[in-house]
Amino acid sequence: MTPHLYLICNRLEALVASHLTAEDFGTYMAVGTRKNNYGNVMFFEIDPAVRHAYPAADAALRQCTPRPDGQPRRSKYASIYRVMENLPRSAFNRLYLGTRDGRVLGLDPTEPASEPLESSPYLYQELAPVAPLVTSSLAPAAFADHITNPANLVHVPRIFFADLRVDRDPDGHLAGSLPYPHPPHIEDCLRDMAEQPGKKIKTVNRNPEMRAFYRTIRHGFYLGDQDGLTAYPFPTSETLDALHHPWWRSASME
Amino acid sequence: MKSLRSGLIASLLLALPLTALAGPDTTLDPARDLPLWWWSIPAAATLALLMAWYFYRSIMACSEGTDRMKEIACYVREGAYAYLHRQYKTVIIFFLVVSAVLAFMAFGLEVQHPLVPFAFITGGFFSGLAGFFGMKTATHASARTAQAASESLNQGLTVAFRAGAVMGLTVVGLALLDISLWFLYLYRFHHLLVGGSPMNLETITVVMLCFGMGASSQALFARVGGGIFTKAADVGADLVGKVEAGIPEDDPRNPATIADNVGDNVGDVAGMGADLYESYAGSILATAALGVAAISFGGLPAGYQGDTMSAALITFLSAPMLLAAAGILLSILGIFLVKTREGATMSQLIWALNRGIYGSSILVVGVAAAIVHFLGLPWGIFGAIVTGILVGLIIGKGTEIFTAADYKPTQRIADASRSGTGPLIISGIAEGMMSTWVPIATVGLGMILAFAFCQGTTNMLLGLYGVGFAAVGMLSTLGITLATDAYGPIADNAGGNAEMAQLGPEVRKRTDALDSLGNTTAAIGKGFAIGSAALTALALLAAYMEEVRVGLHREAAVAYQAPAPGQAYAVKALGFGKYGIYLPGNDTADHLTLSAFESQSDHSLILPFEGRDIEIVLNQIGEAVYTLPLHGTPFERLIGDTTGGGLKAGLNDYMDYYNITLINPNVLVGVFLGVMLVFMFSAQTMKAVGRAASAMVQEVRRQFAEFPGIMAGTQKPDYARCVYISTVGAQREMIVPTLMAVTMPVAVGLVLDVAGVMGLLVGGLTSGYAVAVFMANSGGAWDNAKKYIEAGHHGGKGSDPHKAAVVGDTVGDPFKDTSGPSLNILIKLMNMVSIVFAGLIVKYGPQIGSWLNIRP
Repeated sequence: MTPHLYLICNRLEALVASHLTAEDFGTYMAVGTRKNNYGNVMFFEIDPAVRHAYPAADAALRQCTPRPDGQPRRSKYASIYRVMENLPRSAFNRLYLGTRDGRVLGLDPTEPASEPLESSPYLYQELAPVAPLVTSSLAPAAFADHITNPANLVHVPRIFFADLRVDRDPDGHLAGSLPYPHPPHIEDCLRDMAEQPGKKIKTVNRNPEMRAFYRTIRHGFYLGDQDGLTAYPFPTSETLDALHHPWWRSASME
Repeated sequence: MKSLRSGLIASLLLALPLTALAGPDTTLDPARDLPLWWWSIPAAATLALLMAWYFYRSIMACSEGTDRMKEIACYVREGAYAYLHRQYKTVIIFFLVVSAVLAFMAFGLEVQHPLVPFAFITGGFFSGLAGFFGMKTATHASARTAQAASESLNQGLTVAFRAGAVMGLTVVGLALLDISLWFLYLYRFHHLLVGGSPMNLETITVVMLCFGMGASSQALFARVGGGIFTKAADVGADLVGKVEAGIPEDDPRNPATIADNVGDNVGDVAGMGADLYESYAGSILATAALGVAAISFGGLPAGYQGDTMSAALITFLSAPMLLAAAGILLSILGIFLVKTREGATMSQLIWALNRGIYGSSILVVGVAAAIVHFLGLPWGIFGAIVTGILVGLIIGKGTEIFTAADYKPTQRIADASRSGTGPLIISGIAEGMMSTWVPIATVGLGMILAFAFCQGTTNMLLGLYGVGFAAVGMLSTLGITLATDAYGPIADNAGGNAEMAQLGPEVRKRTDALDSLGNTTAAIGKGFAIGSAALTALALLAAYMEEVRVGLHREAAVAYQAPAPGQAYAVKALGFGKYGIYLPGNDTADHLTLSAFESQSDHSLILPFEGRDIEIVLNQIGEAVYTLPLHGTPFERLIGDTTGGGLKAGLNDYMDYYNITLINPNVLVGVFLGVMLVFMFSAQTMKAVGRAASAMVQEVRRQFAEFPGIMAGTQKPDYARCVYISTVGAQREMIVPTLMAVTMPVAVGLVLDVAGVMGLLVGGLTSGYAVAVFMANSGGAWDNAKKYIEAGHHGGKGSDPHKAAVVGDTVGDPFKDTSGPSLNILIKLMNMVSIVFAGLIVKYGPQIGSWLNIRP
């Protein structure tokens, strides 16, 4: 049984060693054995070679031994709090998105598109290490660069975030299919951002509920810092329904 | 006024010999031959059953798909059988007890015809049989529909719809076969087998009506039990599976998902089938009874082309059966019209079904005209039939407008969800209440038109016959409309099967389309069932008074008292203004019983009795009376007038005698009790769902807690346990509402007499109809408002409006699938119980009322 390293990184950061495959780990994190954890689980698979650069990872991998009954060890926590910033970005492999009932979808890392796919303003859900919902005039790469820039008074060493859909209905309002709470407030924030060219970021909600979160994803997830950006493109709903139907059905629920 | 009333309403019934209460019927052909066309009725019923068998075999010849699909279908099938097995055990006990009571009434108290217990049992048996066959086919068809959908949309539609057609044709085939065989037996063979004189047609129709109580009882069990089962499973699956565990619908990890699928079958297939079986049979029987009464009391109506009473009696009795038989043939034709093309839109799919329904309906209009012409019936009957068909179509369209997501009412409910759960609930209730105007106004207008078309202003019973015929016209294409209803759960189960078996996206897309179509047709079917119940109700109210009349006479006949030597007649006071009058014939067999009651009508007869004069009207007299020497007796004038079609006791005399007026407190109390019963019954069924669902919630939670592998997909849930819990819950919970429905009319009758029963029936009918429409439409609209939001409006799934809509749907579930649909059976069952127990009420009601000193 080969141990794997996973980094849970929405709201809570935790580096965990486990004998489970990423899919089984995602299911375990979502539904547990005798308890049912609430909420979506997002985690990266981390290259085990990182143990040489991060002692806690090495310790967790060593302590991740089979259980006395011979069963695989499901989780051995290595570290929590400020983990993501201390791992080299090159060690982040696939990103896994778990649903409440334990369905797991893996996304491959790619280079981000060189040109922004949509014009501003954008709507971003920051996921780690902080998690507000914000609007921004910046495209993903610029946004990551701005938010991790030490020259700014407010910054973080590295940011994991997703860009969200701001589709409009013919009447100009946010599309009726989007499950955001208080859509008029989001519309106001987007309008403010558009009307103030100099403004780069505006907080929409400091503690959003992230309902039906996966249905709101536009292009995908991003992991960025001052050294660059890794994108995790999110498939279209048609692709998801055709190729990942059980996950998409589960993800489409609240 | 008196002369007007006496002119309006006629009442001449055939006298009954004391031995069998079925007098020699000299108006009928002594050989009792039936016209050749009559045989087309059992032939059409047999054809319906043969076609049902053909469709069943053709469905069974289709592939059931992969092993996984077969496994899932098997779980559902076993669950459905387990449910039915247990339900039938409960129902058998109920039927045995009630049959024993009816037998005691017939043989012990002699207030009932001896055949009634048997008619009761066969009605229940055939109704249950229809439900069983329908569900058997449905549970075999779901996987086959999913498999057929993998080939094409049309294949899927064809398999699902023809499986529904098995249900539709089985219901109409068994009902019409039961009716025609009973009639054939009573008319041709009963007197040959058990001796005595041949039964007259009025007694035959009245005995056959009692078979409706068996069908109603079975329907109530199927509807209430099925409704509780399906909602307990649904709520359990949703609350724990969806809300707590986050599992999508039709996910095999949810322990209650199989029970949910089973519930669709037991509630919407077996329950709906038994419900409409009862409506169908009840409307035909009540109309037949009124047809005979109309001719017997009113003579040959204007516009009737025949010239003999005997032919008219058979014609008016059999005409509704003949229309039903024609409807069967046209339904079969319509079933073959249902087809669609690949990639059809929802409106094209709806049109595919409507083509069959509209095609059958249009053809029925033409065939009805041919029947009216062929039988020489008054053309007003054709008007009544067309009215009934239009009423059915308008109610169906109205239901669609008030419940489908394509229309404003449902969209307004969805809009309200943006303001929260409270406004959504208020909006749903308001739209549901508002929706009642379409079916109520339509049925009201339909009643008036059908009544007027059939000369109701001059011959009330003929007008009521027209109203009954409108109901028969509305239900004439039941073979195909019920196929449309039963199609819904089959398509729903097929969708579930495709999901659980993880079939490809193209198949799922097709099964989803078929499923969506089923949601719309289910709401229309419920509106149709409720509408038919209301339209039949007036005929059943009149039929109840017919039973009261027969009950009065039976009481007199049982208390036979031979005249003293030398006396022309003997009179026995039965108390409370009722009298038995006995006329001796030429020999013992000709001794005849006349029943009478006190009345101050202008056609009343002054009869010296025990030293005083009493004013009476005759309730029942026999034709053999005409052969008796009446000269010098007080009956000479009345009998003479009767033969001339003049002075006869009629419906208004009974209403007068029982003081059935709104200022009689017994009537008003009865109305209140009828309204109360509707609300209490609804409350009981909804609370039953709550309790049964609570047990299901606990069970699903237990399984998740004790078997952690279920969620991980490494362990199979115990589906059977959930089916068992829902089954036990449904059986336990349906007893109280059923007993309420059965005992209330009897209890009210014994305490408040016939007047109280009429009030109870009117209160139950009017409030029950409105509440049933309100509940069905509110529930349907909430459900579709949720689906409308899930389709991408107001934030879609997971949004605040969606959360509100989910609450609305949960509230609406017992509204639309348990309480609402059960109410129309409550209405009919109360009517049927009243009819069957009329003899008991007639005899003992006045005594108890007098003892309680509440008899006005």
